[in-house]
Amino acid sequence: MEENKDISQIAFQKIKESGIKPISKNIFNLKKVLFWSLFSISIIVGALSFSMALSILLNNDWYLYNKLGFGFIFKTLPFFWVGCLLIFTLFGEFYYRKTLLGYRHRIITVVGLYVTITVISGSVLNIIGVGKTIEQSLFDNLPVYHLVVFDRGEIWTHPERGLLSGKIINIGDKVIEVIDSNGVVWNINIGNNILLGKVKFKVGNTIKIVGDKDNDIDNIFNAEEIHILK
Amino acid sequence: MITNHEDCINKTDNELVRLSLDNPDHFLCLSKRYESKLLHYIMRISKFRQEDAEDILQDVFIKTYYNLNEFDDELKFSSWIYRIAHNQTVSEIRKKVSRPSIPLEKEDIDRFEDAFDITKEIDNSFDREIIDKAISQLDEKYREVLILRYLDEKDYVEISDILKKPVSTVGNLIARGKILFEKEYKKLLINK
Repeated sequence: MEENKDISQIAFQKIKESGIKPISKNIFNLKKVLFWSLFSISIIVGALSFSMALSILLNNDWYLYNKLGFGFIFKTLPFFWVGCLLIFTLFGEFYYRKTLLGYRHRIITVVGLYVTITVISGSVLNIIGVGKTIEQSLFDNLPVYHLVVFDRGEIWTHPERGLLSGKIINIGDKVIEVIDSNGVVWNINIGNNILLGKVKFKVGNTIKIVGDKDNDIDNIFNAEEIHILK
Repeated sequence: MITNHEDCINKTDNELVRLSLDNPDHFLCLSKRYESKLLHYIMRISKFRQEDAEDILQDVFIKTYYNLNEFDDELKFSSWIYRIAHNQTVSEIRKKVSRPSIPLEKEDIDRFEDAFDITKEIDNSFDREIIDKAISQLDEKYREVLILRYLDEKDYVEISDILKKPVSTVGNLIARGKILFEKEYKKLLINK
């Protein structure tokens, strides 16, 4: 090897002559805060997505499989929210890797940690009702949401297809009176063979009824199954 | 006034970083401390001529000073400055389409020979030229970890910090790199 030049001295002279100053610590601190914040946001959005997906799955009308088939069930699956969860898992992994020591861990470890956090916090959010509240709020206030997520409420506004929902306004011996979302009052015949499940009729409850619309008399609906709207 | 050698010798890297931020003269101590190690490292991974490696090293020191506030105590300073040197060298390698290939130095080859039993197994009078060729023919990702591990004597965490790769990946690359080096060495020896 040739004899070394005093490179340190040359570099030092250049630093002095060019008036180079270290970049402010605040810039680097800001960068650190930014990446940790983006990672935290990815976790929050991931947890919310999981909560929404869970809420949709738990409140799904699985029993309609017999009546409407697999195609209907497929449409009700929470693809949008599962997609969001996957995308934000990738964001989370990316931003974690940008943190100071993020590169030290394997992708599988980071993704595993991310999924564990989002599943636990998403489940908690679902238990306290956040998932359902947000879903309802999005349906009510964001028209575009109807385009990306199947509106499960809408399916119950088709008495001609045997699906009706409404609020109980009167309970008789064999007939329940309900008012649907259009303000139409229906007389629901509840026969002896009805599958009531855990349904406890109470005025003010909203119920979902599977059955048949009477073709001869208006606003009569013969119930086969009744479920409380959760 | 330039800080003299005695002022620096008992100070840790981290202390010198803090002092450099108040008084740039201390940065000279810090750069002198790493000058020789980094110059060798740059030459090993790039195979550039010494004068080219010296130019890169100058840029490394200037970049290090410019980004000094980015250094975090959670890392070793040596890992951090090696990372800057590695990145700067890789960037220079990409810029140069062709470059003269300088063989590894004798001491480097001796260290490699010590690290791998294979050279002793095959031939007691190991062939430096073949070792150098075998190292050169390794894929960059294996070559850089083997150089850091066996020539710069860095541990797995330090290599992970320098290359910004997971520690487990570094372990796998070293293990795989050793196998590939030994294979290449045997092949070259047979074809000699």
